[in-house]
Amino acid sequence: MKPETRKKIDELFRHYPERRGALLPAIYLVQEEFGYVGPEAARELAEIFEIAPVAVWEVLTFYNMFYTEPQGRHHVYVCTNLPCSLRGARPLIRCLEERLGVHAGETTADGRITLGHEECLGSCGTAPVMRVDGVYHENLDLERALAIVDQLD
Amino acid sequence: MAQITIDGETYEVGDGLTILEALDQLGVLMNEVELPHYCWHPKLSVDGSCRLCQVEIEGVPKLQIACNTPVRDGMVIHTKSERVEQARRGVMELLLLNHPLDCPICDQAGECKLQDYAFDYGVKHARTDLPRRPAKKGFELGPTIVFDQERCILCRRCVRFCREVSQTGELGVFQRGERSLLETFPGAELDNPYSMNVADICPVGALTTKDFRFKVRVWFLDDVPSICNQCGRGCNINASRSNNRVYRFVPRRNDAVNQTWICDHGRMSYKGLTEGRCTEARVGSRRVNYDEAVSTAGDRLRSAIDAKRPIVVVASPFASNEDLFVLQRLIGDLGCEPGTFAIERGDSDALLIRADKCPNAEGARALGFLESDAAVGEAAIALVLGRVAPERLVNVETQVQLVSHEADISVSADVVLPVRSHAEYLGSFTNFERRAQRFSPFLEPCFEAWSFGDALTEIARAAKVLGWEQPFDVIRVSRELAQAVPAFAGLDLESLPAEGAPLR
Amino acid sequence: MQTEPYTKLYLSEHYGNEAFRTLAGYEAAGGFQGLRAALARDPEEVTELVKSSGLRGRGGAGFNAGLKWSFMPKGDERMKVLVCNGDESEPGSFKDRMIMQQGPFQILEGLLIAAWATGARRSYIYIRGEYQYPIQCVRKAVAEMYDKGYLGRDVFGEPGFEHDIVVHSGAGAYICGEETGLLESLEGKKGQPRKKPPFPAQHGAFGLPTTVNNIETFAHVPYILSRGVEWFRGFGTEKSPGTTLFGVSGHVERPGLFELPLGTPLREVIAKAGGVRNNRALKAVIPGGMSMPVLTPSDLDVPMAEEFLSERGTHLGTGGVMVMDDTTCMARVACVISYFFRDESCGQCTQCREGTGWIHKLCERIEAGRGRPRDLELLESVPALMEGHTICAFADAAAWPIKGLLRHFRSDFECHISEGSCPFPESFEL
Repeated sequence: MKPETRKKIDELFRHYPERRGALLPAIYLVQEEFGYVGPEAARELAEIFEIAPVAVWEVLTFYNMFYTEPQGRHHVYVCTNLPCSLRGARPLIRCLEERLGVHAGETTADGRITLGHEECLGSCGTAPVMRVDGVYHENLDLERALAIVDQLD
Repeated sequence: MAQITIDGETYEVGDGLTILEALDQLGVLMNEVELPHYCWHPKLSVDGSCRLCQVEIEGVPKLQIACNTPVRDGMVIHTKSERVEQARRGVMELLLLNHPLDCPICDQAGECKLQDYAFDYGVKHARTDLPRRPAKKGFELGPTIVFDQERCILCRRCVRFCREVSQTGELGVFQRGERSLLETFPGAELDNPYSMNVADICPVGALTTKDFRFKVRVWFLDDVPSICNQCGRGCNINASRSNNRVYRFVPRRNDAVNQTWICDHGRMSYKGLTEGRCTEARVGSRRVNYDEAVSTAGDRLRSAIDAKRPIVVVASPFASNEDLFVLQRLIGDLGCEPGTFAIERGDSDALLIRADKCPNAEGARALGFLESDAAVGEAAIALVLGRVAPERLVNVETQVQLVSHEADISVSADVVLPVRSHAEYLGSFTNFERRAQRFSPFLEPCFEAWSFGDALTEIARAAKVLGWEQPFDVIRVSRELAQAVPAFAGLDLESLPAEGAPLR
Repeated sequence: MQTEPYTKLYLSEHYGNEAFRTLAGYEAAGGFQGLRAALARDPEEVTELVKSSGLRGRGGAGFNAGLKWSFMPKGDERMKVLVCNGDESEPGSFKDRMIMQQGPFQILEGLLIAAWATGARRSYIYIRGEYQYPIQCVRKAVAEMYDKGYLGRDVFGEPGFEHDIVVHSGAGAYICGEETGLLESLEGKKGQPRKKPPFPAQHGAFGLPTTVNNIETFAHVPYILSRGVEWFRGFGTEKSPGTTLFGVSGHVERPGLFELPLGTPLREVIAKAGGVRNNRALKAVIPGGMSMPVLTPSDLDVPMAEEFLSERGTHLGTGGVMVMDDTTCMARVACVISYFFRDESCGQCTQCREGTGWIHKLCERIEAGRGRPRDLELLESVPALMEGHTICAFADAAAWPIKGLLRHFRSDFECHISEGSCPFPESFEL
């Protein structure tokens, strides 16, 4: 873990009456550095937070947005919940699977993209929606979705 | 105090307790009041997730979990209503959904709460033909525990045990929802001095000990209450035996001593009960029968008495209160110096494990023995109970040693008498908090061996010591002890309650 | 996302106006008048006022907000905490996202009023992790407030009134929308709801007395203070006053957000959204986010307020209206819904952990045409095993929609079983 990351984590503590409150934000910081939080980083976090490593691992595996294994350079998530499904999300994700040659939940062999489906993203009025590296792309059609994904380096 | 009514019966319970706690404290849980539960355990924090202990409370619309509902004065609780039974059957069915129904090949069968309650509440299986959730089978969580993930019902007792009791925190539940899995941190093991307790508290066959797994069906076992003799704590145990063989020790609940736990070292100490035993009496290097050894010891003792030469006694903190009382009386009758005993010390912790690695140091003290590891004075004969450091006996001419294990035999022993281990006779120990606790025999040695008290009495009889005409009878001796020593007043073996009692 | 709802009343009046997203613009539009009005009153009075306004929580349960505030212990030495629930994850709901993006200061003003009323020293705004942009918007607003000296010590010149606001990001778990799941998550743990007692007002975030309200709930509060209870009650129904941002999604011509008074008939809500798309006939409507039982065309006149919807066996929930036309296969809908609940169950309680998986497997098999006649019976009885028996309402939320779909559209399921295929060739794809 970089000293800057560590410093940022230390700065988080003052916002919480108990150190552990800063765990989720701290995990985000570590994930920003490594792209994921593996056992070694989890142990380091456990030490900083003075909790059992297993407690960190429980948190890491509970939340969708934390990764315990390396991910693609880009994250592409398609909402497949009901409002998006009603407006064509499923053909859209299948189309992306085909284009990228992976199933949802997998990373392309070149490590470029991790494709996944996601639960409701709160974009039901502008469905279907895709979240690419944290940014929402709404009111999608197949063409635009492919164009967006193709652009990713 | 609050008055609560359960299924028409009224109980006085303490304020601030939950319903289950109150029933547990009254001692009626699962006998008078049948309120099944999985995640709740009297010595762990409340989890509230298995949902099996739901009860109907008058005036409360929804069913409530008894493990997390505080009692209120006037509370009227129903545990057998149709709604409760329906909810219970629901939990059972859902737990059986992904749980294999292969009790015949599961080691927990016979002491499995899932099996018991499925039978009790008439839910033999879930109404499904869907494949079960795949899960790992039989993998080692650490050096002592094997885990069958498919049997786990995620009650998290083991997780809480590791966090709250052993405070080692090895276990967690990863993922969420239906994918939830009990595991250790990647690459880490469940390995702590109390690890095997998780197998005891696991209500199903998910966690089993490597040691006991598939050794014997539990319905062939009967449990005999005993006391662990590995340290001064004196953890209460049940020895599970079959055909004069002991298969395991499990902790026996005693809130004043060991709660519901035992350390792994103590649990495994059953192995030492049969291994390395001293099975033959000896005189010098000659193997003799027991009677001959006794009469030889008696003769040597008689000679010392007749010659008015000093006699010394080395006591053992592994001997029972009754043994030591007999020994103390013999010391008085022989007029020898006060007896001593030595303690081996080792690691200790804040939970159960004591540094004094013997079960009855306090009993020896209470009976007037002095702790010492100094060499004994010059003597014609020494009566030695148990292991002794050889340098303590350099000034002794004849050494009569009573031992249970070969390794304890002193090189300089002249007469060796095999004695019984505490697994083989009735008696009591006094633990580090001066609590007298009874142990009962659960094995019969397959060679001749007597208890310390018995052997001492026979030696005294053989030596024709005045007043030692009667053979040893532990019940009589314990009554005499209770009368003669004020600390033991009322604590004879027949009066001593199952949970023991403090010395006066 | 739209920058403003298609229909606007007081709450979203200025949405779409870029300036309203800045502190200066917010103040220019009359911002903080509610807070100033509150500071002129005793805290208890403010609580009473909000209580009497009848403002109901907009997060789904519809509990009286002022009454909730009044549960905060008085004379307790411990720091009191407010938590603003921005975990908006209920499928079909996207109103809080708009409020965070377009009216972040409304939330902050509402929080300060609640802080004054309850004596809270600190607020946490917990926002779902996926809402990266809304998080930025709210963070920016909080920073502006600090820069201007509106947070910290002597808030708005009120000596001794201290308040800090921390924006906290979730990490992708629906269950963190449940208020005690949220508190666990805020404490850096798995978001597994807590058993009660104790309740958050006594033992909430970090063991401190805590009140949790939804983003929209806080955003309404300033208007009650600045414009009065009577004015507020001029919108909505007797039991459900005020407006809400209805989010209409699915098979309508113009999906999106609509600020309308509570009690607006469902028919009108759908009409505002341009009606069912392609002139198709309506088949079903989920009125309040995916956890709520479905309604049918015969229910179109129901006023969209909890007291009327509950009479029809459903709930207002978050006001997320999902419209499905007559091409829709309800067995597929059941598949999507049950998958979601299987995926998002926290896994604590037996009934929920096991039941959600069971229901989804049954739905999947039926939808795929491999169902057996007994599967329908099971699909009816498994939800009954779950409902009302768990730590939180998630199991209920997983059970209700399935029950509702079976009640109204049993034949869709039966057809899949008897024919082995889907009777709706134009249905949305799985």
